Amino acid sequence: MPRGDRYRNAEHLPNLRAGRRAPPAATLPRQRRGTTPQMVGRYPDYDVMDSAHTWDAATRRVVEARLRPRPGRRFFSDDEADTARALCDTVTAQDRDPRIPVMLMVDEKLADRRFDGYRYEDMPDDDQTWRLVLRGLDEVAQRRYGAPFARCAEDAREAICEQFSRGVLQGRVFDQLNCKRAWTVVTRAILAEFYSHPWAWNEIGFGGPAYPRGYMRLGEGLREPHARPEAVHDDPVRELTPPAP
Amino acid sequence: MSTALAGLLKGSRRPRDNDSAWLLDPQRRGVPNRDRMRHYDDSDEVDLCIVGAGAGGSVLAQRLARRGWRIVVLESGPFWNPDEDWVSDEAGSHQLYWTETRVVGGQDPVELGKNNSGHGVGGSMVHFAGYAPRFHPSDFRTRSQDGVGYDWPISYRDLKKHYEAIERELPVAGQHWPWGEPHSYPHSPHPVSGMAARVWKGALRMGIEMRVGPVAITNGVMGNRPHCIYRGFCLQGCKVDAKASPLITHLPDAIEHGVEVRAESRAIRVEVDDADRATGVVYIDRRSGERRMQRAASVAVAGYSIETSRLLLLSTSARFPNGLCNNEDQVGRYVMVQGAPQVAGRFPDEIHPYKGPPPEVSSEQFYETDETRGFARGFSLQTVGGLPIGWAEHVLADGHWGQALREYMRDFNHWAVMGVLCELLPLPNNRVTLADEKDAYGMPVAHMAYTQCDNDRRNIAYARELMRQLWLQAEAQDVLAIDRYAHLIGGCRMGFGPDDSVCDADHTTWAVRNLFIADGSCCPTQGSANPALTIMALASRLAERLGSRSISFQRAAWRSGRQRAVAAA
Repeated sequence: MPRGDRYRNAEHLPNLRAGRRAPPAATLPRQRRGTTPQMVGRYPDYDVMDSAHTWDAATRRVVEARLRPRPGRRFFSDDEADTARALCDTVTAQDRDPRIPVMLMVDEKLADRRFDGYRYEDMPDDDQTWRLVLRGLDEVAQRRYGAPFARCAEDAREAICEQFSRGVLQGRVFDQLNCKRAWTVVTRAILAEFYSHPWAWNEIGFGGPAYPRGYMRLGEGLREPHARPEAVHDDPVRELTPPAP
Repeated sequence: MSTALAGLLKGSRRPRDNDSAWLLDPQRRGVPNRDRMRHYDDSDEVDLCIVGAGAGGSVLAQRLARRGWRIVVLESGPFWNPDEDWVSDEAGSHQLYWTETRVVGGQDPVELGKNNSGHGVGGSMVHFAGYAPRFHPSDFRTRSQDGVGYDWPISYRDLKKHYEAIERELPVAGQHWPWGEPHSYPHSPHPVSGMAARVWKGALRMGIEMRVGPVAITNGVMGNRPHCIYRGFCLQGCKVDAKASPLITHLPDAIEHGVEVRAESRAIRVEVDDADRATGVVYIDRRSGERRMQRAASVAVAGYSIETSRLLLLSTSARFPNGLCNNEDQVGRYVMVQGAPQVAGRFPDEIHPYKGPPPEVSSEQFYETDETRGFARGFSLQTVGGLPIGWAEHVLADGHWGQALREYMRDFNHWAVMGVLCELLPLPNNRVTLADEKDAYGMPVAHMAYTQCDNDRRNIAYARELMRQLWLQAEAQDVLAIDRYAHLIGGCRMGFGPDDSVCDADHTTWAVRNLFIADGSCCPTQGSANPALTIMALASRLAERLGSRSISFQRAAWRSGRQRAVAAA
């Protein structure tokens, strides 16, 4: 079956695949315009920043600031930063450059104490939860693999995160921490930073800020004049090249 | 009015006694007459001091200012200038929400912050989606009709004309409404986005009727407010001025009639004298850190369920050692949220869930009790929007992270999302209290305990399964679900006596007869309707009662027999 039909049939979606796993990232279209995390995405010719001149000044200031180099780290210590970076990149599957600097974005948020307006009664403040989680991850990794979390191989980190997401990690830290809630606290912060970044918008084909321009084609299957089509097929050259023996 | 005539006049009828839309500047957002706003001295005893410039407080101020009342509104958050302060961006809208710590507990804790708590002039309506349905007549008598909840001391009839007035002021756009008491809307229904059309198609196959609206978004120009541009950022504050919030629908007119809206002023205590009369509100000027007191002949609290209850609990004195109006241990009880699971469906063509206002098409077919479903009361079905961070939380909630999450995120444009609002019942132990933790001003923060009852759980499970079935009928290729809550209501409910309520049918607290509860806190039940319109309609009715002197708090302090007994003890 042509790859386009398989895509329309949603065969790439984890719920419909064995083990609820995504297909390998190598089968994704490569980005040709703008930047996406790991330079893959469904919209290879789309760069949301091409529309930046149509945005209002306040929005433009906020979004463009995310593309500038981040100021130095203020919240995480050196050791914590390694673990935090590994956790952020594992949760968002950032296995190579270009990477969205999620750890530094979270660091800024925690250093500024920009919390979300609530705390579970059995949990400390979000910044303390982060420190505990990082200590706990290192403890589990050290016990199982004899290395801190950041030094573990990708599949080892994923195995730990898988248990973390189900709330079943054990150890000195996690026995005292509501593991399931700790997972929601850290992932909430990670995903909010990752998907606030224009590179991530390029990857998923999000229209971005649309004020004052707005949208005029609301119907299903209709595309704004400035939007770009999504892509399914791989690079045709690579597609035709027979795999190496 | 006949339906045909109402249809003919859609979009053309100017609201009575509210010029807000005409006081705006067509070339910039915000409140132009703020520059010539009246200012009162703290020592100047105003007629009414209102705490909170949201849905309830703003309507109350606007109505009474037109009757000549001298009013100060204290608002903890900033006075927004939408051009400068608001952005078309999810993460950049963090300052719109109450982000100071509150502690949540109980077996089913409620996430606060961006989910349901605003901060700043305009209140939570600045970030509400825009749905503005009325309550059904049955909502006011669920105890006698369905055997659950609580009967209100007022009925739908008491609110009807206020619903109509507010709908014209916001304005509300939608098709003729067949549920509850059938009625029509002042503005025509908005065009339906691809996503909402998908939901509607699925609903029709399930035999579910849906209607476009009701949304508080201009469809066409109203005064100096432009029409909607369908950019999808309703929940981040409407930079267009198309979606209603009190900042543009009521405060310009209020300020024109002499109201002072004092922003950055955090109320920390309602002051009461020995005769149990409120004499003013102690607040902290957040810019200087100075502690001040505004004197007032009467006080209305409109800080939304959590802060209203907290303010009363903070106002302790010898006569009220457990908090103002809390000698009967009722303040903060029966606080409610709505069960609001969302289910998304995947389709072969691009849908672009971020286009168009998130609120578009809804159904109240399941609003009333149907015994065959196995629980009392019901839910409403609504389309909701999709933006990247919200969608990521949705995908994560279904158990995906790492590569699987990225894959679903890349598929964003193929997904349509719908949600329900399940009526959860008022329970005495779902309650706002004070935590041990203190805020930056040394005041204890709020603790909110929430646990569902069996009826709540059955309602939510049924509604979630219905959405799943709807997507399967619509031939969705995959579905993803998230459990969540929406809205806050209750906490200082109105009732028939001080034993099981905080205020009476005229929002007047049983213990202090010149103190009023003027926000959603006073609601004994919540239906499965979004609360904004009802909060405004209640404030409009309260203003009418106060303005026409149907409520007379000028007389000597009034005490119930029960309170005399407490005082004697």
